[in-house]
Amino acid sequence: MLARILLIVVLAVQGAVSAEKDDYGKVKAIFKAHCLRCHGVRKQEAELRLDTAAAAISGAKDGAVIVAGKPRDSRLLKRVRSGDKDTRMPPEGAALSAVEIATLTRWIQAGAPHPADEAPESDPADHWAYRAPLRPRVPIETSATWVRNPIDAFLARGHRGQELLHARQAEARVLLRRATLDLTGLPPTPEEVRQFLADTRPDRWNRTVGRLLQNPRYGERWGRHWMDVWRYSDWYGYQKQLRNSSRHIWRWRDWIVESLNADRPYDEMVRQMLAADELPEATPETLRATGFLARNYYLFNRNTWLDATIEHTGKAFLGLTINCARCHDHMYDPVAQKDYYRFRAIFEPHQIRTDPIDGRLDAANHGLSLAYDAKPQTPTYLFERGNDKRPDRDNPLTASVPSFLPGQQLSVSPVQLSPVIFYPGLREPIREGLLETARQLVTSRTAALAKLASPPGSEEPASPELAVARKELTAARAQLESLTARVTADTARYHGNDPAAAADAASLAAARHRQSDVIAAEAAVMRAELSQSQAQGGGDKKKIAAGTKALVAARKRLKAATSAAAKTDANYPPLTKVYPKTSTGRRLALARWITDRRNPLTARVCVNHVWLRHFGSPLVPSVFDFGNNGRRPRFPALLDWLAVELMDHDWDLEHLHRLILTSAAYRMSSSATPAHAATRQRDPDNRFFWRMNSRRLESELVRDSVLWVCGNLDARMGGPELDAGTGLSTTRRSIYYRHAPEKMMVFLDLFDSASTHECYQRNETVVPQQALAMVNSPLAIEHSRRLARRLDSQVGLENTPEHSLRFLEMVFLRVLGRGPSHSERTACLEFLAGQTRLLGQSGKLTPFGSGQKIPVPPAKQPHLRARENLVLVLLNHNEFLTIR
Amino acid sequence: MTQPQPSHRSNHRSNHRSNRREFLLDTSRGLGGVALASMLADDGMTRAGSTTEVPDGLAHIAPRAKSVIWLFMVGGASHMETFDPKPALNKYAGVSIDKTPFSETLKNPFVDENVRIVVPDDANGHIWPKVYPLQVGYRKRGESGIEISDWWPHLGDHIDDLAVVRSMWTTDNNHGAQLQFHTGRHSLDGFFPTVGSWIHYGLGSLNDDLPQFVVMGTPIADCCGGQGAHGANYLGPEHDGVQLDVNPARPLPFATPRGALYREEQRGQFELLNRLNLMTAALHPDDAALRARIKSYQLAYRMQMAVPEVMQFDSETRATQSDYGLGNGTTRTFGQQCLAARRMVERGVRFVQIFHGSNGGAGRWDGHSNLKTGHAKVCRETDQPIAALIGDLKTRGMLDETLVVWGTEFGRTPGAQNSNGRDHHPYGFSIWMAGGGLKGGIAHGATDELGFHAVENRHYITDVHATVMQQLGLDAKRLEIPGRKRLEIDYGRPIDAVIA
Repeated sequence: MLARILLIVVLAVQGAVSAEKDDYGKVKAIFKAHCLRCHGVRKQEAELRLDTAAAAISGAKDGAVIVAGKPRDSRLLKRVRSGDKDTRMPPEGAALSAVEIATLTRWIQAGAPHPADEAPESDPADHWAYRAPLRPRVPIETSATWVRNPIDAFLARGHRGQELLHARQAEARVLLRRATLDLTGLPPTPEEVRQFLADTRPDRWNRTVGRLLQNPRYGERWGRHWMDVWRYSDWYGYQKQLRNSSRHIWRWRDWIVESLNADRPYDEMVRQMLAADELPEATPETLRATGFLARNYYLFNRNTWLDATIEHTGKAFLGLTINCARCHDHMYDPVAQKDYYRFRAIFEPHQIRTDPIDGRLDAANHGLSLAYDAKPQTPTYLFERGNDKRPDRDNPLTASVPSFLPGQQLSVSPVQLSPVIFYPGLREPIREGLLETARQLVTSRTAALAKLASPPGSEEPASPELAVARKELTAARAQLESLTARVTADTARYHGNDPAAAADAASLAAARHRQSDVIAAEAAVMRAELSQSQAQGGGDKKKIAAGTKALVAARKRLKAATSAAAKTDANYPPLTKVYPKTSTGRRLALARWITDRRNPLTARVCVNHVWLRHFGSPLVPSVFDFGNNGRRPRFPALLDWLAVELMDHDWDLEHLHRLILTSAAYRMSSSATPAHAATRQRDPDNRFFWRMNSRRLESELVRDSVLWVCGNLDARMGGPELDAGTGLSTTRRSIYYRHAPEKMMVFLDLFDSASTHECYQRNETVVPQQALAMVNSPLAIEHSRRLARRLDSQVGLENTPEHSLRFLEMVFLRVLGRGPSHSERTACLEFLAGQTRLLGQSGKLTPFGSGQKIPVPPAKQPHLRARENLVLVLLNHNEFLTIR
Repeated sequence: MTQPQPSHRSNHRSNHRSNRREFLLDTSRGLGGVALASMLADDGMTRAGSTTEVPDGLAHIAPRAKSVIWLFMVGGASHMETFDPKPALNKYAGVSIDKTPFSETLKNPFVDENVRIVVPDDANGHIWPKVYPLQVGYRKRGESGIEISDWWPHLGDHIDDLAVVRSMWTTDNNHGAQLQFHTGRHSLDGFFPTVGSWIHYGLGSLNDDLPQFVVMGTPIADCCGGQGAHGANYLGPEHDGVQLDVNPARPLPFATPRGALYREEQRGQFELLNRLNLMTAALHPDDAALRARIKSYQLAYRMQMAVPEVMQFDSETRATQSDYGLGNGTTRTFGQQCLAARRMVERGVRFVQIFHGSNGGAGRWDGHSNLKTGHAKVCRETDQPIAALIGDLKTRGMLDETLVVWGTEFGRTPGAQNSNGRDHHPYGFSIWMAGGGLKGGIAHGATDELGFHAVENRHYITDVHATVMQQLGLDAKRLEIPGRKRLEIDYGRPIDAVIA
C-alpha cells in the first residue's frame, strides 16, 4: 500500500517536472514575443533582462521581479496583469493573454525551473555581416581537378562537404550564348558562334569574355541591372505636373551606362551618386550621377521623399533596413529609432534643382536634375512613433550613421563648391549658347534693316520703320556686348586671380548691362509708338486701346531702366541662377563612409548583386537585408573572398565579371545527368551551386533579342526616354523607353520588368499572358516576317525540300544559335509541308477578325508564309526565352 | 498531351476544399491547368527573391461565397442622394449648420481626426456650412421598408436582398481615396495589394481557362491610384487584376493577332511549338520553368478561345439582354459589364471588379457642381444593370454564393459647395453588399441627422474587405507576408451585423 502511494507520488512529481520543463519553453516564447525588445541584449530597460531565466530571477535595478514559488510576490506578474495603461507591460502592443499569464504563473509557482546552461540572447551587433570581411584562405581541393580559380575552390569544398557532384561543363555554344546574353543582353550572331567554335586556341574563353566586356552593349545590359538596384524611374505626375522622380532623369541612366563602359570603379560610382556635387573633381557631367537622389523627389510630402532616400540608400549600398527604425527601434538590428533620424539628417539639407544645359535656359524641357544642399540649417527631429505631427523639437539631431558598424564615424566638414557647380552660367555650352543666340539676333536684325533701307543715293525720306529697325539693331548689339562683358567678368571673378581686374570687368559688365537695358527699352518704346500710330491710322478701337496700353507699359519700363542706369555699382545679373557656394559635406561624408574599405557591408552587397545576375541565385538570399532578419550566406568564405578581392582591385567591376565568367563554376551545365541523381536529391534547389541555374530572359532581353535576331535592332545609345507606347513599333533597346509607374510598356510589364517602386531582384514568372504577347503581338509577328524575308533572299524562293531544309538550318542558327536536331528537323519539315498545304486552301480557313495591325503583310505564296510561321514558332521556343 | 485542345472545359471545380495536389495530378493526366502561380509554386518556381510561402489555395474557414462582383463608383457618390436620405437637409435647406439644432456636428472631434488632406491649399477639404437640400425624392422600398432615393427605381425592387451600410468612413479627402478604398491605405502611404489581389493570392482557381481576378471598365486615373487600384503590389504581378474589355475581338492585351492570320494556321504553330518544347523537355527533365512554359502556352491557347467566348452574348436570351439594358445607349456599357461579370462568375472567376464613371480624371460621380443632373445621369446608367445583375444571379441560384459589393471612395458634403454641388466627404458615407451569405433588407449603421458623421456602428473601409474575405473563407491574418508588416486597421473587421 505504502509502495503504491510512493509510486503515485513519484509519478506525480515526475509529471509535474515534465510539465514545468515544458512550461519554461513556453515562458521563453512569451518573453521573446512580448518582452525581449526592451529587456534583452539590445536594451536592458530598468537593467532587467529576460533572455535567460537566471537573469530574470536576478531582477531589475530596483529589485526582484520574479520570486520563485511565489507568484503573489512576483512584480512581473502584477505588471503584465495590470489594467492600468501606465503600468501595464508590455507598454505597447497587445497585452498578454489569459493563457500566457497562466503559464507564467504556473512556472513561477513551480519554482521557476530552468536548464542550468542557458545561453543568453546573442548580441545583434555581433553578426557575421557586421564584421569586416577578411580575405579567407582559399581551400586546397586536391581531388577537384575541376577547380580553375578560387571561386571553384570554395564551391568544391562545399560540394565535398555536402557530397554533391558538380555538373559537367556546358557545351561550347551554350556557353557562348550564356555569356553573350549575360554581358551584352543579346544572343550571339551566327558568325560569332561560327568563329567561337572554330577557335582552337587555348585562351579562347578568356578572350571571348574580354571581347564581350569591351562591347558597349555591356554598359546597357549591366546598366539596366544597376538601374533595378538603384530604383530607376522616369519622372511621372499628373499631366504636366511633376509629382515623383525628376525630369531628365535619363541623364542619370546615360551616366550609368557610360560609367560601366568606361569601367568606372564601383566605389567611385557610389560616391558620385550620393555626392557628385560635393566631390572635388565634380563636373557638370558627374552631376548626372545624383539622379540617384533626384529619383526620390516627391511633390506632396518631404517625409515620404526622405524616407525613400533613407530606405533605398540603406538597402542598395549596405543591405541594411534602416527604414525599419522609423517608428520604433529596429526589431532585429541594433539600429535605434534615433539612428534613423540621424541618418535622415545627412539628407535633410538637400533638395533637387534643374539646371539648364544650353543657351535655351529652358530647364523644364532641356535640363539636368541634380541634388544640392539648399538649406543647411534645417533641423532634424525624431518623430514620435514615426508620426510627423509629433516631432521632438527639444532634441534636434545631428547627422551620423549607425554606430554599431566598425570603422570610423562620419567626418563631416563643409565643402566649398567649385563655381561651375554652384553657378551653371559658367558652363561653356550655356555661355556659348547664349552668346550664339545674341549673335543671331544681331544677324537677323541686320538683315531686317537691310530690307527696309533705301538704296544708297536714294532721296526718299527715312521711313519710321527704318528708324525703329535701326534702333533694334543697336539694342541687339548692346545686348551682345552686355553678354560678352558679363561672360568676361564671370571669368575674371570665378577663374581669375586678379581681384582688381575682376572688379574692373564687373564694373564694365554692369555698365554695359544697364546701357543695354536702356537701349532695349528705348527700342521697345519706339516699336510701341509705331504700332500705335499704325493702329490709329486703321481706326480699330480695340487695337488702339491695346496699343495705348502697350505703349504705357513700354514707357514705364524705359523709365525704370533709365533710373537704374544712374547707378554705378558693379552688380551685374548672372547668366543663370546662382546656388549656395558651400555644401554641408554630409552626403560626401556618408559616401566616403560607405565606400571605406572598413565598411563591412558595401563590397559584400555589391558582390552578391553581381553573383545573382550571373548565377540566377544570390549567395545571400535576402539581397537587400544582410541584417539579423536576413538570410545567412550559403558560402560565407566565398562571399568574403570576392568582397575583399573587389576592394583589392580598386572596386573594378569588370575584374569581378572576368573572375566569375572564367571560373569553372560559371561554365557548368544547367542540367543534370543520371549520375547526379543523388546530388539532385540532396540539393534539389541547387542551393550549393552544383550546376548552373537556367533563367528566363528578363523583359528587356525578350524584346531586344527578338529585334536583334531578326536583324532590326536600332543600336543607337542614350538620349531622352522614348514614349513607351511606341515600344512595339520602334526598335531601340528597351532600356531607352519610359519606365515610370503607369507609363511602362505593356509588353515588358508582362515579362516582369522592374517595379519602379523597388526591385532588388526581378520576378521570374511564367504566365499565359506572356505566351499571348509572344504569339500575337505585332512585334513578334512583324519581325518574324521580316526575318523570313531576309532568309528567303539567301535561301531562294523555290518550294523544294532542299530549300526548306536550308531555311530550317539557317533560322535555327539565327534564333537559337544552333542547328536543328534530327527530330526537330523532322517536325519542322512536316510543319512546313503541312502549313503550306493548309494555306493553299485559304478559302476554307477562319481568319482572326481583329487584333493590332501588323505593318508587314504575310507572304502571298503558301510555302513562304509557312516559313514565316516557323520563324514565329522559334521565337516562342523555350530555348530562345531561356539562358541555359 | 501533345496538342492543345481548344474545347472549353466544363468540369469547373467548385469545391474549395479539393486538394491542390489533386489539381496537379489532374494536370499531368490531361490538358487541365491550374492558376499558373500555384502550379509554379509546386514546381519550386515561387517568386524569386521573396520569402513568401505561397498559400495552398484552400479556404481557411468554411466559405459562404465563391465569387465577388465589386462595383466601384468613381468620384464619390453622394450618400444622401443614394442610400442614406436625410429629411433634415430639406428642413434646414439654406441654413448654416451652426444655426441648426445640429451645430455640435462641426465641433465633433472626428472633423480633425478623421481626415488627412493630401495637398495642402488644395481646393478640397473645406467645411461647407450652408445646408444643401436633397436633390431627389426618396421612399421606403420592399418589405424591409428601407428608404433609398428615387434615382434607384429598379434597384429598389431588390432592396430586400441588399445589406446597406450607412456608417462608412475613410481618411483621404482627395481622390486618392479611390486607391484607399481598394488597399485600405491612404495614398500618401503608397501602393499596397488590393482586396482582389489578396483573394487571388489566397484562393485557388475555379476555372483553368480564365483569369481569376478580372477588371472591367476604365481603370482609375493616374491622379487617384491608377492601376494600383487593381494591383497586387508586393504580392507579385501574377496577382494583379487582368483588365478585360467587353469586346470579343480584343478582350485583353495581345488576345488575338491581326493581319490576315487564320485560326488553323496559328493552331499549327501552337502544335509545332508544343512538339519542339516537349523535345527540349526530354533533354531537361528537371526544368520546372520549361514545364510551366509548356503549360502556359496551352492555357494561353485556351484563354484565347475562352475569354472572347465570355464576352459573346449571343447565347443570352433577348429578355436577359434587355433586362441588363443592352438595347439602351444609357445603360449599355455598364449593362454589358454586369452581364459579362455574371458570365464570368458562372464560369468560376473569383473576383470581378468593375469601375463605373472613370473619365481620366476624378470620375463622373464627383458632383462638385450640377450634382442633380450629374448624379441623375450616373444613377440612370447603373440602376437597371445592377438590378438586372442581382435579379439574374438570384434566378439562377447564384446569389447565395456570389457577393455583390457596391462602393465609392467617399460621400459628399451635406452643405452646398457653391450653388449646386457637394464637396468630398470622408466622415460618413454609404456602401451596400448583397448575396454571398449576407442578410438582405437590412440597413446597418447610421450617420447623424445631417448625414455628416458616421455615428452608429462606424466602419472603416477595410471592414468591407474583411467581410468579403471572411465570406470567401479567408483569414487575412493567415496570408501574412514576412517582412510586410500590416497594421490592425489594414485587416479591418468583418461587419458581423450584416452576415446571415
